[in-house]
Amino acid sequence: MSDSTPQLATPASVGKRPQRVDLLAVAVRFQSLIGLALVSVGGIVFSPVRHGQILFLAPDNIANIIRAISETGIIAVGMTFVIITAGIDLSVGALLSLSSVLTATMMVSVGWGLLPTLLTVTLVGAAFGAAQGLISTRFQLEPFIVTLAGLQVARGLALVVSGNQYINISYGDGPGLAPPIFAILGERLFNNTVPVATLVFVAFAVIGTIVLNTTRFGRYVFAVGGNERAARLSGVPVSLIKISVYAITGFASATAGIVHAGQFNFGSANDGTGYELTAIAAVVIGGTSLFGGAGSMIGTVAGAVMLGALANLLQLNNINAALQLLATGAIIVLAAVLQSLVRRHEGGSR
Amino acid sequence: MNSTRWIEQRRHAMQVSALAAGALALLAGSAIAAPLVKECAKDGKFIIGFAQANNAEPYRQHVNDDLVAAAKAVPQFTLQIADGAGNVNTQTSQVDNFITQKVDLLLISPFEAAPLTPAVARAMKAGIPVIELDRKTNGDPGKDYTAFIGGDNYKIALEAGQFTASKLLPDGGEVAVLEGLPSSTPAVERLNGFKDGVKGNTKIKIVAEQAADWLPDKAQTAFAAMLQAHPDIKVVYASNDMMAAGALLAAKGAGKDVKIIGTDGLPGPAGGIRAVASGDWAATFTYPTGAKEAIDMAKSILLDCAATVPTNVTVPTLAITAANAKALVGN
Repeated sequence: MSDSTPQLATPASVGKRPQRVDLLAVAVRFQSLIGLALVSVGGIVFSPVRHGQILFLAPDNIANIIRAISETGIIAVGMTFVIITAGIDLSVGALLSLSSVLTATMMVSVGWGLLPTLLTVTLVGAAFGAAQGLISTRFQLEPFIVTLAGLQVARGLALVVSGNQYINISYGDGPGLAPPIFAILGERLFNNTVPVATLVFVAFAVIGTIVLNTTRFGRYVFAVGGNERAARLSGVPVSLIKISVYAITGFASATAGIVHAGQFNFGSANDGTGYELTAIAAVVIGGTSLFGGAGSMIGTVAGAVMLGALANLLQLNNINAALQLLATGAIIVLAAVLQSLVRRHEGGSR
Repeated sequence: MNSTRWIEQRRHAMQVSALAAGALALLAGSAIAAPLVKECAKDGKFIIGFAQANNAEPYRQHVNDDLVAAAKAVPQFTLQIADGAGNVNTQTSQVDNFITQKVDLLLISPFEAAPLTPAVARAMKAGIPVIELDRKTNGDPGKDYTAFIGGDNYKIALEAGQFTASKLLPDGGEVAVLEGLPSSTPAVERLNGFKDGVKGNTKIKIVAEQAADWLPDKAQTAFAAMLQAHPDIKVVYASNDMMAAGALLAAKGAGKDVKIIGTDGLPGPAGGIRAVASGDWAATFTYPTGAKEAIDMAKSILLDCAATVPTNVTVPTLAITAANAKALVGN
């Protein structure tokens, strides 16, 4: 049974949809890719040119764009799983901050090596997420509430662990110094062009895409979000899947926190504020339905890159930050409206 | 981390003056050292990028306004301001974008020191002079970045403390302190400065001290609680103007006449200068923006082809009290 669970658990009316809606559905499915293409074209057309080079397309600039979104991008990959199950995770930004603080503390104050630190931090992140998933399923609480509480708890823990201080990471051998190899997260490889943080994001996105699209777990995630009751009746371990997706966002947030600590050589209890909203925006723009059951990882990645490219283009043209917020807001609304239109045309009851 | 050009330049300076220590020695080397930038000219066109830490803070908006005004006076300069929005990742990407744009000079108020250090190093490596405004990254001015211009938080708060000890409470009394975001450097420096400043008067007691994270609403809540616990508080020192505004609301709410000291001395209808002029606060101590000094330095680097600039410029504070507030409020 499980192997034939449909990837897109659409409501009952399959087969009666008029052609026009399919086009709309396709457009929505790929809205973020289309959006990214539009922003890129805009980028090329409106990019300032200096010394005969289109700045927007300069390899440096592309690297800048992807580096800037690597942390929220990693989180958005995790968030896609959660939102496909019709859930939400608001704790990710705070968890990033907690993870950056833990990473810095373990390496600098406690003197742990690289591997034990990375393992512990990612495990703590995954466990934190899993605990939220468990509380949400066990007590049938809205994930909105549980993860809102989780946000506060993670932020509080970060403040406690850091003792209200920024924890700077210095590198070297000896007590109080982090292993120099960790600094690689802030470096750029291949002739100083490709930021390592970007590579982590790309690796995360590739693995996320494979897991979501080709594994049984991925199909279960869609099934739980599409119709939880049906999924349960078909033998899908619904609670386990739900707990797992929160563990994934926890793991993703911890990874982003490690990348943050490595890129910026510090752990801070004040960082990552608002990252949950940026990540959710990327997912929604990417065409994943907040009602669950439908979504795409490639869409999320394109959504995240699009937001980054837009911010970059606006700065290159010296357009003020307020407009950037307005543009992002408008794009999110547009994405949501498109999804709602599709749902209505499909005659879905959700 | 290092710009090789810079090292070479330093070496030149060293050769000229064996006592190469600080700015004086660098000035001595200026006769033979190369200009700080490759392209400089009186009639050139230059883009200056300013990576601001967070536009949402009124003080930083004040800096932006001052910078825009100062840059406007120089027709050769185009100023671009990027808002880091209080996020080291955002600010890093903005610095990277400025490097891609090949701006002629980078001004930066780093949101935090260590995280922005690599980005500043990249700019220096790309041959872009970096003037740090108000906040520093790690390393040494003149080597890891071109120069630092800013106020001295400790000294400003020290003056506020001394003012409290000698003018507001010569006979002593209870004092409360509202601190900024606990982990941030300026919060710590202002806290220590004020405490050291009031030490001269042993009859002054700091009875309450709490962090309100620079925010007026938190300051209001915190100070209301302080007044409950210590009804005899005579003076409250707020580490910025916004918290002083919050403290005023709390004092009014409690029906207490507490002397309030702010910090930053912001202009405008909601700023500290007006509050002092109207008699709501006892004083505020300006935190200078350094905007004029920064643009002047940019002029000497980009227009006058300076080979050296002073690497550490401290802009003094101005005490705003009942005596001068009314005259300043119009400016």
